[in-house]
Parts: sequence; structure tokens; C-alpha cells
Amino acid sequence: MTQEYIDAPPPVALGNLSAATHNAPPVTKDLTYERILDARSEPENWITYYGAYDGKRFSPLDQINADNVKRLSPAFVFQSGSQGIHAGPSTYAFEAAPLIVDGVMFVSGWDGFLWCIDAKTGQTLWQYKHAIPFDVSLCCGNVNRGVAVAEGKVFLATLNAHVVALDAENGEKIWDTTHGDVRAGESATVAPLVVKDMVIVGSSGGEFGSRGHLDAYNIETGERVWRRYMVPKPGEPGSETWPDDGEAWQRGGGNCWVTGTYDPELNLLYWGTGNPAPDFDGEVRPGDNLFTDSVVAVNPDNGEIVWHYQYTPHDLWDYDSNMENILFEQDGRKLLGHFDKNGYFFVLDRTNGELVRVTPFVDRINWGEIDSDGKVTPSIYPEKEGEEVHFYPGPAGGKEWTHACFNPETELFYCPVQDTGSTIARRRREFKEGMPYWGAHVIVDSEDMKGSVSAFSASTSEEVWRWETELPMCASVLTTAGNLVFAGEPSGYLNALDARTGEHLWRFQCGSGHHSSPTTYSVDGRQYIAVPVGWGAWVEGFLPGMMGGPHGSAIFVFALPEE
Amino acid sequence: MGRVREKQLSQVVTELGLDKQNGGTIGRLLNHGGIGQVEEDANGRMKIQIRIPEDELTYSPSIAVMPHAGELEIEFFNDDTNTHCAQVPSNGDYQWIWLPNGSRGKVTVTLDGPGYYWYGSNVGNDEGRGLTGAIVVMGDVDEAAKLDRPAQPRP
Repeated sequence: MTQEYIDAPPPVALGNLSAATHNAPPVTKDLTYERILDARSEPENWITYYGAYDGKRFSPLDQINADNVKRLSPAFVFQSGSQGIHAGPSTYAFEAAPLIVDGVMFVSGWDGFLWCIDAKTGQTLWQYKHAIPFDVSLCCGNVNRGVAVAEGKVFLATLNAHVVALDAENGEKIWDTTHGDVRAGESATVAPLVVKDMVIVGSSGGEFGSRGHLDAYNIETGERVWRRYMVPKPGEPGSETWPDDGEAWQRGGGNCWVTGTYDPELNLLYWGTGNPAPDFDGEVRPGDNLFTDSVVAVNPDNGEIVWHYQYTPHDLWDYDSNMENILFEQDGRKLLGHFDKNGYFFVLDRTNGELVRVTPFVDRINWGEIDSDGKVTPSIYPEKEGEEVHFYPGPAGGKEWTHACFNPETELFYCPVQDTGSTIARRRREFKEGMPYWGAHVIVDSEDMKGSVSAFSASTSEEVWRWETELPMCASVLTTAGNLVFAGEPSGYLNALDARTGEHLWRFQCGSGHHSSPTTYSVDGRQYIAVPVGWGAWVEGFLPGMMGGPHGSAIFVFALPEE
Repeated sequence: MGRVREKQLSQVVTELGLDKQNGGTIGRLLNHGGIGQVEEDANGRMKIQIRIPEDELTYSPSIAVMPHAGELEIEFFNDDTNTHCAQVPSNGDYQWIWLPNGSRGKVTVTLDGPGYYWYGSNVGNDEGRGLTGAIVVMGDVDEAAKLDRPAQPRP
């Protein structure tokens, strides 16, 4: 007997079964490259990853200031939670920097989520969810650091190494381009950067022996304009820093998983590159291993590397240099400042890569020394098979990817500092595509650690003040013209500090650790501070003492009480 | 060798009573409702039928294999005497469908690259009892996206 079936109700997109309104005002339609060039002239918005191309993470907004910040309160909270089985079910974390355009927030979550939210009320306007395979290769958790917006579109790099452009009014897909090879251990976690008519996107996958690259895509079509590999082939410039006859360059790392900065006058992108692979077994890759652990100055028109500076030649400690290179001027000189994982604060001439100053910014550094001329002398590193060594800073660095900031009014840099060591022994393994390729066993300290927000003079690099914490600081800091620095802690507290003195002024317990990049904006004359909160990611690397910390998935948005 | 091990695994699962509800333990072993390959027609359109057998709280097959990325039409049949549903990943948003007792319904999803994608019945604890499945996309990424390097050894 044939069974008679009734028709099931038709399927629906899950987001239609929510309170989302499914449309947003056309705020990004007129968001041109010219506006991004002059981003700081519209302080009510935060229209690119760092707030502006210079990477300062500084806002001219001053309604919330050192005098009144003690009255700061939540205006709304956005929450997501996680659903079903997804990649890294225990490592998902909220790492993004929310963008805001004329009262509309665009923010990415883990696992291919992107939300468009009313930045005044917290109402979800639309949601996009890219389908991500749960077996995608991830070194450091299920995370994404943010989106880019321009010309009516939102750009997202997905965990399975695609780049998608969405209609900013409704989240409908406009184009989808495959950016990397998930079968080769690649993924994508970076916040894209719009420059001219291109969106610039870097690779992830350094712990799987991929070959790092930076790509530019046409914002209208998604067609790739150029790709620049960060490990040269034999015969290319820099190839002399790799073994002549080996295969090491093919798996050499040098990924580009954090957004770069850009100087439009010099027409140069400043992009940080990641560790060489294998991370800790340098014997299989003798040489300096360019262009890993470097800042590369890239011509955005063709992807050519104009100059480079390598912060850690022949890295044996997993000291990626992906972190921001903040552009600033001093005595008429165009400079950049960079706090490296290796524990040193570098100031370079950004016209040519010449070293201006290098100074330590974390108390405990014993992996080696960098002298005032930039000469690197290693002293403790994994060398003999199976023999453990202990060094500072550990592989998460004196500062992880989370960003420092610079306040032009105080002329101070502010850095979230991690002071943690690690025990590592070389453990050689064969390279096999798609498998982790560290060449070591690694145990990061979960005791005897500390942190701080430390302020450094732009003119001398000397430490001016520090606000000390029991736990390492693992979230980006934000500074404003209100004489404030905002800093989230792994314990869940969001803090406000006096930007000139470091005096602690305010705190709020958000219920989960901070590992994101807070931003600020205003709507109808009211200033807000937006803080994604959700502990996770590479906790075993940067703070294993908090492996048991509560997960979360919220954006807390703060403001002063309405009159 | 792999096939023999798989047969042995199925045999042991049956012997232990883990291939049924309230057998060896409370629920059914996840993703143990069989494996099926999707059908692909001459136009490249991929289809599969997935059933929910009575009192088994599993999708059958619970593992659906696509030969490559693309669009997949799944026709669900609920042969159970309880109401379930299916939340299936797709680019843009999950597709979600009610599956009342004795119903059938189609869901079309788009998956853009290789890997395992979860789907499940997100009501009560259907997912934990056994109504959790995987869609497997085989194959490689676009040639243009691959790294410029010689072929590398794989495990």
C-alpha cells in the first residue's frame, strides 16, 4: 500500500522567523572611496575597520568624557547565541569591530554570520548567514574580525575562504568569489579593506603550512585584480632567504589575517604578515624567511611590494607581525608605530621602511634581544628535538592581534599588554596538506601572568603610564577626544581610563571576556560605545588560565543617560 | 580495509543497541542513519530523498553526499508519528521546514565548497536523540583560488 503524505508547509529562511525587519535604509549608497579617505570628518560614523585608514582607532567624539564617563550605562544589548553543530563549537568568539554608517551598524559574528542593526535601538534589520562546513581548518577558533562597506555593499570574508558582497539594504548576495583553498588548510577571518575600487582581503592558514597571500577584488564584480604571495618562489625577490633546493617556500606561511592600514598620499598599504611555517621548527627553513613576520608596503594598484621591514627574521616563536601599523606624523616625518608579538615597539619611517626607534613594551622578554639598530640576537628557542624551552613572551606575544590605538591629542599610543610565557619543544613532523604544521608541542603558562594597558610617548616611545591588571589584556583598545581609553578585560569588565594619566574611571561587567575591537559613533547627537563581547578563540594560546571562562555572544552598546 | 572497519562498526553498534531509540542507551548514535549519494541529472541538478522512519528519530540517510558544491534539492518524508522539522544550512540563511507526521516537503539549499555541513531537527531534543545529519560536499575549490605551488602530499 502506498502511503499518502500530506504536504509539509513550504520552507522558509530562518531569519524570516525573527523580529528582523529585512530592510535597512540606503546609508551606504553614497559611501564612496572619497568619504573613506576623509573618514574622521564624519565622527558620527565608523566607516572602516580602524575608523580611518591610519589605524589610530581614535574618535573625535567627546560627549562621553573623563568627567562624565562614570554615568555610562547600557543603551541596548544585541545577542545571537549559537545554533547546532558548527566549526569550533567550543572556540567561537566575538572578535569583530562594528561599523556604523548614519545610524546603521554592520557587524560580523562567527561562522559566517553578518548582522545589520539599528545602531540607536538595537533592532535587527537583516541577517546574512554563510553556510560554513564544520570541518574547516581553524588554528584559532571560529571567529571573524569585521566587514567593509562601500557603494551600497557590505563585504565579508568567510571562514571557508570566500569573499562575498551583499546588498547593504537587505543582505542579498551580489557576488561570491572563492578566495582560498580549504583543502590546503586555508580560511579567512580578516576584515576586508576597501581602497579605491577594490576590496583587499588577506589569507589565514599559517598553522597549516599554506602560502600566505594578499588579494584585491573589484568591488563591483568580485573579479580578482591581483594576488601577492608573501613567500616568494625560487628566483623571485626574497627567495634568497629560503633554502635553495627545498620545498619550504611552498608551505612557508606569511599569512595576512589582520587588516592593514593605508597612506593615500604615498599610495601604500601597510600590511602585516604572519609566522613562517612550521612555526617552531626552523631547521627545515634556514634563512630569514621573507616576507614572514614583516610589514610590507604594498602598492594597491598592482600588489607590488615597494619595501618591507621584517620584525622577527627566521621566527622560531610564532611571533606573527599581522598586528596594526599605526600611521602618525612627528616633526614633519611620516612614521608608523607597531607593537609586535616579539615584545618590541617599532617606529619606522613609512616612506622607506627605515627603523627610527625600537624599544621593549612588555616587562619579560627573554627569547632574544633587538638592539637600537634593529639587530636581532636570539637566545632561547626550540632547537633540539623533544627538549623543552621556556621563553617570554609566549606565542601569543606581548600583544596579540588585538589592536593598540593612538590619540593625537595626548600624542600617546595605548597598548593592551600580555605578559605570559610558554614552554615549547621542537617536534618535527612531515608536512601533509591540511594538517596542522607547527613542528612542536606547546604549553602556554596558565600561572604567573599579568597584563596592562600601557601608554607610550609618540616622540620618544617611552612608557608614560600603565594600568596594571592581574590577567593579560586580550582586547583592542579605543581612544577618544573625551580624554578616554576603553579597554575590555578577559574577566568581562569593560573599563574607561583617563587617557592622560591612566586613572581608572569606570567599569561595567559584561558577563564574558573581551576579545574584540570596540568602536564609537553617534546618532541624533548621542554618542555610543559598541563592544562585542564573547570569550573564546585561541584561548589556549593567549590565556589558558581562562579556558573555563564563560562564552558569550553579545554586543553591549553604552551611552550617557538621556536628559 | 576502510569498508571492513565500517562494517565492523555497524555490527558493533547494532550489537550494543545504539542503532535504535531506548536500546543500549537513551537515544540513537548520531549520524548513524546510513549514507546516501545525491543524484545528479544531466543539467547538474542534485537531488536526494531523506526519510524520518517511525520511532527511530534519525534521518535516513543521515549523511547525504554531494559530488561537488552547488544547489541541492532535498525531499524530506516524515514517516514518524510525531512532528519534526529540518534546519538546513544554505548560503544566505538556513532553510527551515516543518515536517508534520506523515508529511513530505522539499528544501533547496546552496553550498559553495567542500566540507561537512550540519543539519538537524531543532525542536525539543530531536538533535541529541538522533535527528542530526550531515551534508558532505566532496571535491576541490575553484582552480583559480588554489595556491600557486606544486601538488602537496596529503594524509
